Amino acid sequence: MRSPHPFLAPTALSCLLLLTGCGGGGFAGDSQAKQGEGGQITVRMLVNITPNLTQAYWDGLVKPFEQANPGVDVKVEAPTGKGVADTLPQQLAAGNAPDVVETLTADETLSKQMLDLTDQPWAKDTPLAKEASLGGKIYTVGVGVQAQSLVFYNKSAFDKAGIDKPPATLDEFDAAMGKLKTAGWLPLQTGGEFLTGLQLLQFSGPSRAQLHPTWQQDVKADKLKAGESLLPYLERYRTWIDKGYVDKNALGTKYADAETAFLSGKAAMYVMGSWFTAAEAKSTKDFEVGVFPAPVDKGQAYPGPQGATMAAPYMILKSTPNKDAALKLVQWLVTDQAAVKSQLKQDGNFRAGVEREFTPLEKQVQQILDSAPSGVPQGEGYGDATLPKGFNAAWNTEVQGLYVGKSPKEVAEGVDRWLAGRK
Amino acid sequence: MTLTREAPPAIPEAPALPKTRRGDGWATTIMVAPATVLYTVMLIVPVGLALYLSLTDWDGFSADPAFVGAANYLDLLDDPELRRAALVTLLVAAAGTAGLNLLGLGFALLVNGASKANTFFRIVLFYPHVLSALVVGFLWSAILGTNGAVNNLVTKWGGEVLPFLSDPAWATVTMIGVLVWAGFGVNVVLYLAGLQAVPHSLIEAARIDGATRWQVFRNVTLPALGPSVTVNIVLSLVTLLKTYDLVVSLTAGGPAGQTQTVAYLILWNSFHDARLGFGSAQSVLLMLVTAALAFVVTKLRRRGELAVHQ
Repeated sequence: MRSPHPFLAPTALSCLLLLTGCGGGGFAGDSQAKQGEGGQITVRMLVNITPNLTQAYWDGLVKPFEQANPGVDVKVEAPTGKGVADTLPQQLAAGNAPDVVETLTADETLSKQMLDLTDQPWAKDTPLAKEASLGGKIYTVGVGVQAQSLVFYNKSAFDKAGIDKPPATLDEFDAAMGKLKTAGWLPLQTGGEFLTGLQLLQFSGPSRAQLHPTWQQDVKADKLKAGESLLPYLERYRTWIDKGYVDKNALGTKYADAETAFLSGKAAMYVMGSWFTAAEAKSTKDFEVGVFPAPVDKGQAYPGPQGATMAAPYMILKSTPNKDAALKLVQWLVTDQAAVKSQLKQDGNFRAGVEREFTPLEKQVQQILDSAPSGVPQGEGYGDATLPKGFNAAWNTEVQGLYVGKSPKEVAEGVDRWLAGRK
Repeated sequence: MTLTREAPPAIPEAPALPKTRRGDGWATTIMVAPATVLYTVMLIVPVGLALYLSLTDWDGFSADPAFVGAANYLDLLDDPELRRAALVTLLVAAAGTAGLNLLGLGFALLVNGASKANTFFRIVLFYPHVLSALVVGFLWSAILGTNGAVNNLVTKWGGEVLPFLSDPAWATVTMIGVLVWAGFGVNVVLYLAGLQAVPHSLIEAARIDGATRWQVFRNVTLPALGPSVTVNIVLSLVTLLKTYDLVVSLTAGGPAGQTQTVAYLILWNSFHDARLGFGSAQSVLLMLVTAALAFVVTKLRRRGELAVHQ
């Protein structure tokens, strides 16, 4: 019996080969130069899109650069997946990597695909460039700094509860929450999604950094167990749930709703990073918002080291065929005064030596940053102090376990088990 | 007497295929080629790549994934997250399939007649399926969240907040409910198509014999709907085993990871944790389980249908 379709096998094989060429083989280094007619170069930039950083904002931001560089067209690209972190590997696998990527910071995995910026004279003076370096090499440059360990509070709630000054220690913080609850307020606004774990990392940062100044490095080197070292904070958080200082149904609240709930006066305090100031500035409310650095343990220096992360980090893909234009663009984004000011204002971030018009709340955050003894990484960290990818999410899932019946010890063990599985 | 043996009749030589037949072969090949190419590109290649990647430690970024053999599959056996997600997925698939089919069949029976009202209701019932699952998730989280519309009403009337999305059991039930709400319109359409094919003469005969409405449904309509039931169950099951986007927008896998499905975990491990090799092993496993379940359900249903016909 003869095969009825003798050409099917070669067709299928050709297709397989074609696909292999398109997909598997096209990691980095094979992106085609995006040079259009008349010598026009297109630099593709993958950026994070948020309520503050919209597509329209990004397009407007790069316009002056395009005008100053007539041969360069900057194509701002929004993530096609859940975010930049999901989209970049998909684009790399498809051999369609952008030239510049915003939002991510280099770690051991990412750095292999990124351009080494160490020899760029402007790179080392950008915020946190040294802290985020890997083995002394700079891959990521940023626009500013985000303060992480901040507690925003409703001033009229504090007044009504008889709290005359913001708490400086963890015990004072607990006492303040007790007073606020007695006065009829929900003491602390929390939420579900990634918020639960993030807030506890932000809150515990200044105290933890004094106990374990090189926490990420120690955890990475197995000198310290992450969960075990954070157990006291987990135990404290558990008491907050038991005493009703946080809403026991908080996990059903999304991040954006939590922010809105605090700004509408439903809760007295909200632990969040400095980017919250941008949302606060846009909101209409009948009370004043204040901010203080996250409290520390008894006997520790206050304010403690401030959790600090790079704001608007940029990296250039090693595979870019438009290296010079990409370098020029990134240099402009992180050093041009107008571009820097615009980005800082848009997302509520800060940079030493850059004056801009501050809201009263932003002024307070700037003072907190100025008075902090140091800026330290938090959670997953960055640069040489980076924990395995996914740590923050795993921590968040475990911390949420406190709301659904897990003991602090079980949560701590869960975190350590996750890390052990990633070694 | 001599026996003469007649020579056996010569086997006529097979006539050569007419030229037109050869031409047909070419034409067939050309016509089948697009479908074959599509099938290969859309199914065989991705599955092959997933299989290959599942044997590597690829992180999604590096150009040189290392071959790790069956290590990823061995890790699957010892993964508590996967065990939990598998249980959630099976629960979602089982309860969701039941819900989709019961509601689908029930509403199909209600809107089976030809009237303007039925046409309107068919559109209304199908409408949720037109919405993106992401939109559906955000919509229902705004309705059922702790600060959502329902809880605002409940607390305004002096009640306690209902933990639709904050308690693991409630959140799982909520997720199944929303999945059924968003999907049963398709089952209505498929059951309606099946109902159109039920011979009216059989129903008439049963009625003349004095059968009640329930007896007509139980003994005539339902057996005749056998193939539709099989298709509906298998389609629902396979779709629900791959539930992902609604988890993202409704619960984000929470609370405490208790509503993570296997598909959600695959995407999370692959892209968020940069473990594409491990995620590929999970997806190969999910594919095999889905195929096996679909096969078993189809076989069981076929056996049931044959028993009815006999």
